[in-house]
Amino acid sequence: MIGNASPAPGLPARGGVGLKPEHFRDILASAPDIGFFEIHAENYMVDGGPFHHYLGRIRENHCLSIHGVGLSIGGESPLCEAHLDRLARLLDRYQPESFSEHLAWASHGGAFLNDLLPVPYDAATLARVCAHVDRVQDRLGRRMLLENPATYLEFAASTMAETEFIAEVVKRTGCGLLLDVNNVYVACVNHHRDPYAYIRALPPAAIGQIHLAGFARDTDAAGDPLLIDSHGAPVAQAVWDLYAYAMERLGPTPTLIERDNDIPAFPVLLAEAQRAEAIMNEVDAVRPQEALA
Amino acid sequence: MNKTMTAASLAFAFGAAMSIAAAPAFAASHGGAMKADMEKEKCFGVAMKGKNDCKAGAGTTCAGTSKMDYQGNAWSMVPKGTCEKTMSKTSPTGNGQLMEFKEKKA
Amino acid sequence: MSPHEAFADSLLAVQPACPPGLITWNGSDPARRFAVYRNNVMVSLIDALADTCPVTQTLVGEEFFRAVAAEYARANPPRSPVMAHYGADFAGFIEEFAPAAGLPYLADVARLEMLRAEAYHAADAEPVSPEAIALLAADPGRLPAARFTLHPSLRIMESRHAVVSLWAAHQGDDVYSALAAVDTALPESALLLRAGLDVEIYRITAATATFIRHLQAGRGLGTAVDLALAADAAFDMTEALGLLIRAGAIGGITHPEGEQT
Repeated sequence: MIGNASPAPGLPARGGVGLKPEHFRDILASAPDIGFFEIHAENYMVDGGPFHHYLGRIRENHCLSIHGVGLSIGGESPLCEAHLDRLARLLDRYQPESFSEHLAWASHGGAFLNDLLPVPYDAATLARVCAHVDRVQDRLGRRMLLENPATYLEFAASTMAETEFIAEVVKRTGCGLLLDVNNVYVACVNHHRDPYAYIRALPPAAIGQIHLAGFARDTDAAGDPLLIDSHGAPVAQAVWDLYAYAMERLGPTPTLIERDNDIPAFPVLLAEAQRAEAIMNEVDAVRPQEALA
Repeated sequence: MNKTMTAASLAFAFGAAMSIAAAPAFAASHGGAMKADMEKEKCFGVAMKGKNDCKAGAGTTCAGTSKMDYQGNAWSMVPKGTCEKTMSKTSPTGNGQLMEFKEKKA
Repeated sequence: MSPHEAFADSLLAVQPACPPGLITWNGSDPARRFAVYRNNVMVSLIDALADTCPVTQTLVGEEFFRAVAAEYARANPPRSPVMAHYGADFAGFIEEFAPAAGLPYLADVARLEMLRAEAYHAADAEPVSPEAIALLAADPGRLPAARFTLHPSLRIMESRHAVVSLWAAHQGDDVYSALAAVDTALPESALLLRAGLDVEIYRITAATATFIRHLQAGRGLGTAVDLALAADAAFDMTEALGLLIRAGAIGGITHPEGEQT
């Protein structure tokens, strides 16, 4: 268990954008005023070449969040130590202000499925996830943030709510949370729950970062809405509303715009990050003082 | 080739190689003096993408459901791209010509 | 079978399948929702191969390529969470893939594109200084035993097909005209090397490929020349050395002890 808060100095309470190779040159040329960039750790687990060249330069002038997508914290087998070693090297090289991973699994039986797959919320899974988060924090020597998943299915085996499960992981491991507001919205629509109640059920002090993204719409076999976490569209109004609600509760929090499909020009994403900043500052200005406690 | 000759010719070749490498004509790579070895086929500014993501796949729900089964008997597709314009002028077997695959059909 | 094993198997299954133990709030068929995960997995794996092999895809068309890639992905899911090098044996799969048998060069084009991705992400290294090259030239007695450390991104490929010309024909605007000039059955070899941030691909002779492979294996310059000449008496060592020097492929020069000439 790691007791201290995120390593100082952490990410600034501003808007950030997911760093895409499509934007490397634009970013270096325009030197944007932006809170931070976030990378997917695994994309930079290569020996050299353009990815490290550009990231190294961008890192010189910007705060950085490293976001793992391949650790399989929800997996049935022990974490891959070789992958933890790769992560440790990457974190050592770039000294990011934040490191986060997902409440999901991706590896099984030696195969990596390259998706964030769901876990049942039961006692056995809780014990396993906590052991894995402990191992990550021990190996990396820092506190990690755990991200809530976008899910399309639930398990008959689950014995607790997702929020209850996550709150317990925080309590047992001392990890922080990456609150993906789009994932909250997507999962709550998909499972017919109240996204506002979901946010209220998480321990606010643990939330160190926010993700925002766009989703796609589909329907399930009964014709009910099924939202897909596509990261391929601007942030939806319903998600901005939910984000404003989260900011009322949490106060200004580092907020990332994620876009991984149909990637627009960098200024379009920067404008969304600025909109997030405007919302967090607006809400903060009128926030009742007691909420700050 | 004996060792002495190799050493002597190598020394000569190395010196010539240095002047070739230093010649500005090399950069153009189309200079008449340049042979096949010097032809550079550069890939202009095509940046690779990162292949690890945490998004859902575009197109939502079709790719996981295969309509084609190569192991079974449903593969009836033929390549339909620029390969239709490729040809071999020298191969006696028509190597490079597009042949329709008709082993199995749905 | 563990829950994740059943889940993983169903994700990669050819026929739509749904693992047990899944529920939905409205009692609708979970298979429809499970298909989202099936789609995510397959799309991400196919996209990874398509990103690495754009020319292979253009040659056969998107539909055919994605179908081949899907077959490959089902049989060969990634073994590592680092996706940058996924598909190391994709070219071998294409080679054995009967529906692509009419395009004997296709596998080698995919192989070239995989090597390009390797070179793109390979370790960084500075080429040796012109002074170091000049120093070596000034001491010709040491030349035959000299060993070159080649750039970590350097890759060599020999093909029975015009693989470099096929690839190059797809880099310009007028692909069809460029392709018309290519005789696919002419053997070509390729040298791939990242210079700065770009991977450059050179069309080289088979003898030059042999020469560079021996240098890469740590053989002395004299031995590599002899072996290349043995492979092809027309081997042009001046041209081959000029290419290596100019392209910045030589990262270091060593003179092993006891091998002074």
